[in-house]
Amino acid sequence: MSVFHDEVEIEDFEYDEDTETYYFPCPCGDKFAITKEELESGEEVATCPSCSLIVKVIYDQELFMSGEIVETSSTETKLEMVQS
Amino acid sequence: MLHDSVAKHDATLLMETSRRTEFCLHSWGANSYGQLGQGLVEDLTEPRDTTALTDRAVRALSGGGGHTVAVTENGEVFVCGQNHRGQLGLGHNADVSTLQLCPSLNQRVTKVVCGWDFTLLLNDCGRVLACGSNAYGQLGVGENVTHSAHVLVIESLEEPVVSVAAGLRHSLAVTDSGRVYQWGRGLFSHAKRALGPRAVPPHLRSTVPSLVPGLDQKISRQVTAGSAHCVCLTGDGDLFLWGSNKRGQLTAPEPFLSSPTLVKRSLLGNEKVLNVCSGWTHVVAQTESGRVFTWGRGDYGQLGRQAPTGQDSKWPSTDPSAEGPNQEARLPAEVKVLRGATQIACGSEHSLAIVGGCLLSWGWNEHGMCGDGSQSDVCPPQLVSGLRPLLIGCGAGHSMATCAATADSRQNPATTPPH
Repeated sequence: MSVFHDEVEIEDFEYDEDTETYYFPCPCGDKFAITKEELESGEEVATCPSCSLIVKVIYDQELFMSGEIVETSSTETKLEMVQS
Repeated sequence: MLHDSVAKHDATLLMETSRRTEFCLHSWGANSYGQLGQGLVEDLTEPRDTTALTDRAVRALSGGGGHTVAVTENGEVFVCGQNHRGQLGLGHNADVSTLQLCPSLNQRVTKVVCGWDFTLLLNDCGRVLACGSNAYGQLGVGENVTHSAHVLVIESLEEPVVSVAAGLRHSLAVTDSGRVYQWGRGLFSHAKRALGPRAVPPHLRSTVPSLVPGLDQKISRQVTAGSAHCVCLTGDGDLFLWGSNKRGQLTAPEPFLSSPTLVKRSLLGNEKVLNVCSGWTHVVAQTESGRVFTWGRGDYGQLGRQAPTGQDSKWPSTDPSAEGPNQEARLPAEVKVLRGATQIACGSEHSLAIVGGCLLSWGWNEHGMCGDGSQSDVCPPQLVSGLRPLLIGCGAGHSMATCAATADSRQNPATTPPH
């Protein structure tokens, strides 16, 4: 399929370390997802599990393969604030 | 979502009639997380009564990616849907599929706007309260919190706030004196790519409210937000836009604007703007004579009029013009059927309006968010029949409307006494 809903830079994805997956908001309310493994193999299409929309991930596969750390916003790196 | 457009007239009407009228809160559209408040997680392509809040007038409705917040006339907050970042403010992180009272809020809330996975509330003292994801600093409380299921007060906003807005990952507020503040790094990467070696200005990278430059000679009154752009309406009826312009949503030729930039009044029939709301990449503005103009992305029917040429094939994988927005997309044009609309609300790629007491919808409809029973995109705006809407609101892919209960739509007329 060649029609993308959007083209999104890898740095704009949120990375989840547990699932080793990059996520970006889909207009339906779910999230476009692509795994680290898929990106390493050259896959560039992130899909939404709830709808037909797809986005093209803008990234440099060679940089990605070399283990360069992509600066994304990791969601679980800091402690949640606990308020009494 | 993403806007702050409580129609004052209708809110007043609601308050006057609340004692003797019953209400129906209808919802439809995407429902992956129970955001429709129907006790299920299947999409609905037509409005259905939630059977919640039948004895309460609702004064504000907003939705995020997967959550919904309703504020009642009494200042109570009811929430449902996705809660993995604590965006429901319930003190826990479990999703909820029916509307629940947010019990810890012992203050009167007057407004709500939902970002993607966070929520901003305004109380009757003008304080801004925030909960949900803070991965980008969008809660305005600094960087020590990744997310909060407890509602936090944005202490650094000392002056009373009159309008708030929430994008995917950024937030805006207008104070009583007309100053505009921005926080959340949602636009930072866009700015960095656009500005190259030049420094990204503070308001695009701050995790606490930062005064937006370039508006100091203006008295602002209302803010609204797209996925990665910002909209400010002044007391003089001028619109200022900044942020991402990938889809022409800023009416400008540049792909990104760091600072507020005036929309020429000549583009809007030489009239003042009185109300504005924004989808992720499209903008809907209403002028003083009641005319409604749209611009920005239109390939799913978001503009309610014929899509600008070059947009009808979605987003080509190799778009030679990707650096700048389509010239026609950034030219506002009137949607005549929306003239005189009393309320407008935008989801991510769809919109609702109340015109002549009737509900109209248009735009992306894959999850039934346009409410016509189909999943085909809707353009031009079409009637959602059978509802008498009082107040409307949208989440990213879902829609909500409170309606006056009619005899045949009332669930239990005999068992629900007047409040």
